[in-house]
Amino acid sequence: MASGQQWVLVEMVQAFYEEKEELIEDWQPEPLVPLVSKDHPPPKYDVVSGPTSHKIIVNGKECINFASFNFLGLLDNERVKNQALTSLRKYGVGTCGPRGFYGTFDVHLELEERLAKFMRTEEAIIYSYGFATIASAIPAYSKRGDIVFVDEAACFSIQKGLQASRSNIKYFKHNDMDDLERLLKELETEDQENPRKARVTRRFIVVEGLYINTGDICPLPELVQLKYKYKVRILLEESLSFGVLGEHGRGVTEHFGVNIDDIDLISANMENSLASIGGFCCGRSFVIDHQRLSGQGYCFSASLPPMLAAAAIEALNIMEEDIDIFRLLRDKCKHIHSALQGISGLEVVGESISPAFHLQLEKSTGSRELDVKLLRGIIDYGEKNDIKITFSVATIPASYCFSSCVTPDYIVIYAQTTAHSLAQISIDDIQMLRMHI
Amino acid sequence: MNVGVAHSEVNPNTRIMNSRGIWLTYALGVGMLHIVLLSIPFFSVPVVWTLTNVIHNLGMYVFLHAVKGTPFETPDQGKARLLTHWEQLDYGVQFTSSRKFFTISPIILYFLASFYTKYDPTHFIINTASLLSVLIPKLPQLHGVRIFGINKY
Repeated sequence: MASGQQWVLVEMVQAFYEEKEELIEDWQPEPLVPLVSKDHPPPKYDVVSGPTSHKIIVNGKECINFASFNFLGLLDNERVKNQALTSLRKYGVGTCGPRGFYGTFDVHLELEERLAKFMRTEEAIIYSYGFATIASAIPAYSKRGDIVFVDEAACFSIQKGLQASRSNIKYFKHNDMDDLERLLKELETEDQENPRKARVTRRFIVVEGLYINTGDICPLPELVQLKYKYKVRILLEESLSFGVLGEHGRGVTEHFGVNIDDIDLISANMENSLASIGGFCCGRSFVIDHQRLSGQGYCFSASLPPMLAAAAIEALNIMEEDIDIFRLLRDKCKHIHSALQGISGLEVVGESISPAFHLQLEKSTGSRELDVKLLRGIIDYGEKNDIKITFSVATIPASYCFSSCVTPDYIVIYAQTTAHSLAQISIDDIQMLRMHI
Repeated sequence: MNVGVAHSEVNPNTRIMNSRGIWLTYALGVGMLHIVLLSIPFFSVPVVWTLTNVIHNLGMYVFLHAVKGTPFETPDQGKARLLTHWEQLDYGVQFTSSRKFFTISPIILYFLASFYTKYDPTHFIINTASLLSVLIPKLPQLHGVRIFGINKY
């Protein structure tokens, strides 16, 4: 390279550096978070420290935990913890591979077998994330052009599953079997007009055993009748009812005495009663097996860490050994439910045997903001007095569609009624909660 | 797309006709069919050519224009469920090289058949009808159209 050219290059580099310095000098950084108005303050996050059980440390303050899905108190159970630790020493934390790709451990197969046995179905399949269970199971069966009838109070993970399925979705009014039958009849007449289309359309009813948004139980016997009358399949979401309803905690099928083979698919979260991580689906082998290649959450997620599977097996052991825990849970639910009745201005929404229910304003103040403020105030007051309850923004689709049934804001009480130690949530606690409200 | 190696197609049907050697395989298959028919003792040469043409067109009609969807499970929630293989080809883009190839090949076969049957009227009518059955569904104007609701769902 000639020296002249080299000089030009050096000059260019120098000029570039000067320009860069200038640009850096000139630069005024924008704030990472823009200023917010006083009407819309940034959300305040509660910081939880330490393990959670019937007591919880929120913002450095110990409260009674009324905001937990750990219904059976298996989260801080010594036996479960020990089993998890033993498993951790044996397997480590897992391979981080999906089930079909070096991710399957013997505990996974054992857990699937145990769950199938517990639910008295042919087969079970486990997912690594509770939310993804039903959200993967629905699109595995229901495709474009298929029709899904769904309760309008269905939970968020069902809604996501329905979106992912790309199917035609028809909402029926919450727990309203007449409305569902009306929709099914509409479809029946459509089918008669176009039988060729009907032959290639799959139909499903998606319901929750115990609705997280309302605390209600679905009328399963009626649903099964409709299923056989109109030839639809039932996909049942049992995240809240598994390990809660029924004498042996098998969920809403046991609660109503419905034959579990009449339900095409049952999906449940293992993050609530079972106090582990992940979820499972159970049913007939030819139904469940389909998910092993078509359940996106099953195929493409890393498998459940083996120690969590071992913990779930131990939790199942406890549930099988002692069915008294379910009776105790029911008693406590009923107790809390009745203890909270008759508070002026607040309404208890939900079944009395539901371990999660909503405290709702009897009369809305007319504006959502004020409602939220009021309920937030109650929660803050509870927290000041060592009671932790939580806040839920309604996800009922109807509340966006029909102004007549706007019930926007709730306080949710997930009654954490630990079965093994009566002292944990005593009558005094409930009295205290009531007093403060 | 090459068959047998990893690919990232959501629906492999879209590009399978662009795989390496697929045109050659197809031509060899048709040639093979012709030779097999020729080796049958009682068939005269014109009959064999008409048979080759008719069987080829029947096969093409069934696999490209009648059967819908995919033989494998696709992660697109059944987007191709109502589309024939011809409509899925090259993501539905018209006038691509593989579309041209599969349009021209039955025409060439038709010319050959007509020539070897010495333009006998009976053979001619059969061959023409058979050709039209695979040419008409290939028209871009008929992409996704189901005349009289035939094969709609």
